[in-house]
Amino acid sequence: MGIPKKRKTDIQIYKQADGVARRQELLDKITKSDTYLPDTILHDDLDKGFLEYVSNTFKVVSDGTQIPIIDKILTIQRWGEFTQNWSFSDEDNNMKLPFIATIRRPDVQFGTNPSVQRTIPDRYQIYYAAVPNWNGTTMGADIYTIPQPIPVDVTFDVTIVCGKFRDLNKFNKIVLKHFASRQDYTIIKGHYIPIVLDKIEDNSPIDTIDGRRFYVQNYQFTMLGYLMDSDEFEVKPAINRLFTMFEFVNQNAVSKKFISKTVDIVTSNQSAIGGQTVFNVGEPIGTLFTVAINGIIQTKDVHYYHIAYTSRVTLAEPVPDFSVVTIIYYKGKNSIIYDNFGKLLKVNTEIFTYSNTINFFLKYDIKSIVTLDVNGMVQTEGESFEITGKKDVTLLGTPTVGSTIGITYVY
Amino acid sequence: MDNKLPITRISKFFGQDDFDLHIRMGEEYLHGDLNMKLVLYRVDRGKTEIDDVYAEVGTDEIKYFPPVEFNGLVKIEEPKNSSYKGGLLHYNEPGNLIVSVYMKHLEELNIDIRYGDYIGYPESESRTRFYTVTNDGKVVSDNKHNMFGYKPYYRNITCSPAQDTTFRGV
Repeated sequence: MGIPKKRKTDIQIYKQADGVARRQELLDKITKSDTYLPDTILHDDLDKGFLEYVSNTFKVVSDGTQIPIIDKILTIQRWGEFTQNWSFSDEDNNMKLPFIATIRRPDVQFGTNPSVQRTIPDRYQIYYAAVPNWNGTTMGADIYTIPQPIPVDVTFDVTIVCGKFRDLNKFNKIVLKHFASRQDYTIIKGHYIPIVLDKIEDNSPIDTIDGRRFYVQNYQFTMLGYLMDSDEFEVKPAINRLFTMFEFVNQNAVSKKFISKTVDIVTSNQSAIGGQTVFNVGEPIGTLFTVAINGIIQTKDVHYYHIAYTSRVTLAEPVPDFSVVTIIYYKGKNSIIYDNFGKLLKVNTEIFTYSNTINFFLKYDIKSIVTLDVNGMVQTEGESFEITGKKDVTLLGTPTVGSTIGITYVY
Repeated sequence: MDNKLPITRISKFFGQDDFDLHIRMGEEYLHGDLNMKLVLYRVDRGKTEIDDVYAEVGTDEIKYFPPVEFNGLVKIEEPKNSSYKGGLLHYNEPGNLIVSVYMKHLEELNIDIRYGDYIGYPESESRTRFYTVTNDGKVVSDNKHNMFGYKPYYRNITCSPAQDTTFRGV
């Protein structure tokens, strides 16, 4: 029966952060004890980080001694390799077995880490932090912006050369333990970098009968890193002081009312002043039904202009002072209208010519009358007309024969 | 007692006396004139504890019989420039050691050279290089190892260099 050889002394008593708190913790690590900006991280930083990861993680003890790990990335430059004064070389300056070496593939590919891959185009500078500053007199702030980091895939080969099968087993166990969940992580200059185990291959020259025999096993890893260059960071002064002035001409200049209990159709009445042409309702207009000046309906693109789903209506000419501009609309960022029960509604406008009857029969069941105008003059429900049936509208007065009656309603 | 079959072939021209004479003359040349001395470190396979699964032995855990000096004709091959990993991790491995030794000499010393034993050969006054036996040359049935087709008389022992993490002398 398996019995634990060691007493576990590193039990986590306190729960570690997770979710959003963990993200904040990682963000804090990036800027810990430093400027508000993340540290530069380039190829050599990634290489050094991987070397440190290998040195700290892949510790194999053979015959009571840790297998040496070469603390340099091996490159093809002969001078660089031969002048290394390895502390574990023999009299022929050959490295003593066993040892572990790290080799980086020269080609660094564009990264496959989906979290940083091509989501913000053209190296666009994005907001990173607003950092308070103090110029001796006033409190201000700087805005730090950085471009999106460039993802890179860096491939490393970690090679163990040894003479004992048991050392291979120990090394393999350590590697597979760390990569049981496919990837392991290392922190390089505060950045959390994943490493993926790609493959394990054996290159041992064991078929050599008369020559020296040893095991060579290669573990290929891909570091899903990214490049950040501090030369690309930008620091801009933010607005230090803002003087905001509000001028109120008439407290009742803007008023809103809802004309239906079941549909939130808003009527905004604004009093014009100072040759005003732009009237803002303060919320996006999904469907603009009517714009009227002192009760006279205006024509779109002739008397006024409105860019879809914006909050402003611009009149073609300045409105006389103290005129009442009425804007009837349905709030929204698209043209779909729902009633307060979530039912989808439609808008229809029907035009009639008055002859002798004051009753008008509409095509659809009336949900709510938006506007009813007689020759362009907006009429008030209850005073000038009433809804007398599902599809019936009745005028309470008698217009001139031949008058045009426009009825806009939702159904 | 093992049966012994007298060798009578080519007896009209060559016999045991001639055979012994040639061996003595060869030894006079090899041991006297050339005087190439080597040291044999025989592994004590009885006392050496091996791994149950892989039959491997840890560093400094091999047990040896007392070293024995012997004579042989030494040939060392050229060193090989090699690498552990695709042109990187260079090493310049010494060439193999091939020792030709009279079988009679080994019998007189009452030793045998076996696969896995170590042999030390002093390259200079201050440097002895150690080799491990990779081919103990016990198969001597071929014409090359026979004296005129009469009897085999020497063995070629091939050894590959050993790093001092494996063996560094007793």
